[in-house]
Amino acid sequence: MSHDDYVPLAERRRLRTKTIKKHNLANILTHWFNVAMWALLLPTGLAILSSPRIGLVPEIWQTLMRNLFGGTANLIRFHYSVGLLWMIVLTFNILLGFRKYFLPFSRERMLLDRDDVEWLKVKPLQMLGLARGRPLPPQDVYNAGQKLYMYAVIGGTFVIGLTGLIMTFHAYIPWPSLIQWALPAHFTAVGLVVAGLIIHIYMGAVFPEEKEAFFSMFTGTVSAWYARQHHAKWYWRKALEEAEWEERVLAEGRLSHTTRPEAESPLPSDARMT
Amino acid sequence: MLNQIHYGFVIDVSRCIDCRACLVACRAENQVPLGHSRIWVRDSGLQGSFPDLSRTFIPTNCMHCDEPPCVEVCTSGATYKDPATGLVLVDQEACIGCGLCVEACPYEARYLDPQRGVVDKCNACPARLERGDTPACVATCLGGARLFGDLNDPESDVSKALAKSGGSQRLVTAETDPGPNIFYINGDLQQAGLAPRLPRYTASESVWRKAAVPFVLAAITLSFLGQAAAFTRQLLAGEKEFDE
Repeated sequence: MSHDDYVPLAERRRLRTKTIKKHNLANILTHWFNVAMWALLLPTGLAILSSPRIGLVPEIWQTLMRNLFGGTANLIRFHYSVGLLWMIVLTFNILLGFRKYFLPFSRERMLLDRDDVEWLKVKPLQMLGLARGRPLPPQDVYNAGQKLYMYAVIGGTFVIGLTGLIMTFHAYIPWPSLIQWALPAHFTAVGLVVAGLIIHIYMGAVFPEEKEAFFSMFTGTVSAWYARQHHAKWYWRKALEEAEWEERVLAEGRLSHTTRPEAESPLPSDARMT
Repeated sequence: MLNQIHYGFVIDVSRCIDCRACLVACRAENQVPLGHSRIWVRDSGLQGSFPDLSRTFIPTNCMHCDEPPCVEVCTSGATYKDPATGLVLVDQEACIGCGLCVEACPYEARYLDPQRGVVDKCNACPARLERGDTPACVATCLGGARLFGDLNDPESDVSKALAKSGGSQRLVTAETDPGPNIFYINGDLQQAGLAPRLPRYTASESVWRKAAVPFVLAAITLSFLGQAAAFTRQLLAGEKEFDE
């Protein structure tokens, strides 16, 4: 694929300053809303988990949060109130933007194709220092790793939300065993998302090569150079779209040029007027 | 600390006639739903052979154990041992009614309130204690079989009764001894067949503790180490003045 080829200096200069839109406002807002919810839910949820038999959370954290919120009951109330807000807003976003954002996003950005499968085979080997010679297949707007993490987040959020609702509305659940199983399911889903989250935050905010991805979560745009290097398939599709647009504009221009009678004059129209 | 309150019950089994006024008083005081109870009177059945027959009634309720299995298993700390009084209490505002504690209690002293979706049990009537009364079951006991008070206070009813009895028994076995705080006097519990069972743990709790926790910890550790290795490499490489 041509993204590995040498790019002349002038072209590189142009690509470095040119921006491409990667995220729309709906995505950016939903992302940072999720961040805020996680920042509130994870510390309080951990503090609630005080069973000595599970014994995961340091007692100082349990006590700190209980004192901060005024006891176990208020801590739990805060946790499920924020959780409810999270679920309501997410549901509202999905329903409101179902056709405009959700379906196109799922269709165009989330599905794994053959290149992604190949990427998933090669990338882990390369991270272990193997298969250096094998080329990485070009990636779309999200690479296969990001797509997999997205599946984990979506599945995890669904499980977390569902089990959270079961526990919040426990008074209406006639089967105690359902509540009993909701606890480890909630815990495991959160744990797996957090395991991915550690990589996600590192790759997104600290890893130097992905610096642009971090800022794109605020501005919505990345440089064309970054897009070409990291998301070649997407970049070339965008380039094609742009070329088609240029072609269309030029064609329109040629059409209007040949149909306008004054266009036959050798001078530009505004020059003739002066 | 010796001057700290350590509430407990002393039950004189020789004085219980199974009238169950305590059950009625408890239900009225605590609005216990029909079909459930916070307290019980157990029956040993006829013991011995004619003409040496005996029958013992053994009032029970939550034992407010020193090392309660119910507190150990409670996810959120909704069930806790009150450090000020030693009572085992349920914060029903925090309880989500999962019932792990109901399974864990060796004395079956807890039940799930289906109306409210929370766990309920004897809490020694805190409103009555607040104004200096004894719990409803103790106040109503005609025979004076049920006694309640501070085991650390030598002048309390329970301490005096214990001192006078010359020996007490608790419902424990070699396998199950969570340190119950009901002391039975003037009767033989060994023959009554009331041994506590072993604490039970649900499949969900075992899966959580034995599988989910190690799995999640491994995943998080792995992911953290991977990130840390990459970050270390990044630091060692240093930052470029000019980056593409």
